[in-house]
Amino acid sequence: MGWIGETIDSIKSLQIRHVLSQAVSLGMIVTSALIIWKGLMCITGSESPVVVVLSGSMEPGFKRGDILFLHMSKDPIRAGEIVVFNVDGREIPIVHRVIKVHERQDTGEVDILTKGDNNFGDDRLLYAQGQLWLQRHHIMGRAVGFLPYVGWVTIIMTEKPIIKYILIGALGLMVITSKD
Amino acid sequence: MDWQGQKLSEQLMQILLVLFATVAFVTGYLMGSFQIMLFIYAAGVILTTLITVPNWPFFNRHPLQWLDPIEAEHYPKPQPVASKKKPTKQYQK
Amino acid sequence: MHSVLYRLNTLITLAGFLLAVMCSLASFTDTFHVPSVTAHAEVLKVNRFRKQLTGNDEVSLTLNVSMNLRSTFTWNTKQVFVFVAAEYETAKNSLNQVSLWDHIIQDKGHAKLEAQITNKYPFIDQGSHLRGKKIQLVLHWYIMPKTGKTIEDKMVISDFRLPQVYT
Repeated sequence: MGWIGETIDSIKSLQIRHVLSQAVSLGMIVTSALIIWKGLMCITGSESPVVVVLSGSMEPGFKRGDILFLHMSKDPIRAGEIVVFNVDGREIPIVHRVIKVHERQDTGEVDILTKGDNNFGDDRLLYAQGQLWLQRHHIMGRAVGFLPYVGWVTIIMTEKPIIKYILIGALGLMVITSKD
Repeated sequence: MDWQGQKLSEQLMQILLVLFATVAFVTGYLMGSFQIMLFIYAAGVILTTLITVPNWPFFNRHPLQWLDPIEAEHYPKPQPVASKKKPTKQYQK
Repeated sequence: MHSVLYRLNTLITLAGFLLAVMCSLASFTDTFHVPSVTAHAEVLKVNRFRKQLTGNDEVSLTLNVSMNLRSTFTWNTKQVFVFVAAEYETAKNSLNQVSLWDHIIQDKGHAKLEAQITNKYPFIDQGSHLRGKKIQLVLHWYIMPKTGKTIEDKMVISDFRLPQVYT
């Protein structure tokens, strides 16, 4: 109870100058996070340099909640690589392995077919109606690195929004009441 | 926890964690097992938490020496204004 | 003076940072590991070779493959994904890679295998270029780590020529 009382006291004793300095430091945190994200986008050349695995279709390689680092280089895409692609009409990108590649002689365009390691069939059922192949522009990047479990934080936050609000609230309270 | 205790606990924390990380990595690498590395490190982190986070008595061996309250004796605080206010209240009545 | 929560915060931050360092070091040790893989394959039989109604050539093969991937495993290896691809060049496409068979190896004990396989995925060309075509069978392996960077490599395990006529 003493702790709560103290917290309330410290909120009551806020001064404008103090509030402003807290707001600035909060802004610094937010903008530096943004800078890191945009910087990663520049370095990796991928729209979203880090993705969280949401399904078990690549088990046992990638489990739900693992984090993948993407890289989008000019190198041609080859069979066996794990790519992240967007299908027209689908919101969420998919992480699967390339099993077929046909690269055109004249234009250099590629036709790609993918499959999840843990799925029985290839991905034609997941593609848009009547779509047989993925093209280069569907590919958002290829997975180059891997970090286990860390992505659970985001999965929990998207599936249980209450926890997100509690966390944001607690962090906000800490920033407001901290006395440095 | 006093100032010396704080310095001690911070140094202990850093040294212990780095030490455990090194030991865990080397053992894990030599034994060829990622799991052993994680277990040793986890144990190390828990041990370090137990040693450096709670307010143990040995962090409190150098209590702060506050100055004696001479000032208060030399310059007594002005009397509360309550005695002055009473008459004004009586005026209003 | 620092409170208990403040000290706990410092400890967790430092512990997380050190864990990240350990993981990247573990991934780094893999770069010094040079596996020596041996593998071999031969085509036993062309089961079916025909032109589909859509005009694409389709082949069904029976292969005999043997491989030893034990040396690819290190302490930071979660699994090795291995697959056999048919690779060839046609007038239409400068490169065709068709995965015929794949396999996930999860521990060193299962990394040496010898098997007779028919293609798990349909071997279909884009168009009708396969008669008499020279085809390379390539073994690709992807070493997927517990943390860090995936390592990939490949090796040609067989050359063969498809028959001139459909069956």
